[in-house]
Amino acid sequence: MVDKARKANRADMTIVRTFDAPRELVWKAWTDPKRLAQWFGPKGFTNPVCEADARPSGVMRITMQAPNGTQYPMTAIYAEVVPLERLVWNTSVEQGGGVSFDIHQVTTFVERDGKTEVTLQAFITRATPEAAGALSGMEEGWSMSLDKLEALLAR
Amino acid sequence: MASSSDRLDTTLAALADPTRRAILARLAGGETSVTELAKPFSMSLPAVSKHLKVLERAGLIARGRSAQWRPCRLDAAPMREVAELIDGYRHFWDASFERLDDYLTELQSKEKQRGRQGKKS
Repeated sequence: MVDKARKANRADMTIVRTFDAPRELVWKAWTDPKRLAQWFGPKGFTNPVCEADARPSGVMRITMQAPNGTQYPMTAIYAEVVPLERLVWNTSVEQGGGVSFDIHQVTTFVERDGKTEVTLQAFITRATPEAAGALSGMEEGWSMSLDKLEALLAR
Repeated sequence: MASSSDRLDTTLAALADPTRRAILARLAGGETSVTELAKPFSMSLPAVSKHLKVLERAGLIARGRSAQWRPCRLDAAPMREVAELIDGYRHFWDASFERLDDYLTELQSKEKQRGRQGKKS
């Protein structure tokens, strides 16, 4: 089922963002665990555990911590790593109480005029309904609107 | 009895096929007969019926009980679960990208500062 969806290039979710930074810097921010820990997760969240072994079959292990202390562990296995161009991983998020979901994620990096376009495609491969509920509950932490993001980029 | 996670798995599997998504898109326009549904697709009636069975098992469509004309009707409730999950994930990355944007700006201004200091010395 997932292979079919991938072949048809139908992602369950696609986000395209342009960052005003050279590709090498953006790539480092994604693959150097120290740098990844600086931005991964909503505002106010920290990452007390952040490991990223960015090579095929390498493991990425992140424990995200909400401002109220709740921890959200996440594990991913890199499936494909093309330096500066492409990062593919399979993520498994477990939150206890039957809450879990698996995602196949393809992230690509393209440099244009010193800026970097990042395209993130996610394919949900397995999920429990409890996961949907837990994710919606976190929306308070995600209150920063897209308008604000656009304003930041326009600066 | 199927657990709720099995149910979502079934929904995702049903939605992964382009023909089935096309069928759902047509049904969004209203109740339709199997014969009508088969028309735009270059496939046999039994093949279309097979897709309909998958959609019915996933709870995405309901079918009338009259033997001759069993109209198909869209049931969007299971899709809502999937949409919620995807929405949550999108929010997560939108928020992370906002932080990444700030972080990259910070890194670059530090580099510039270091560059200026380097020129002075």
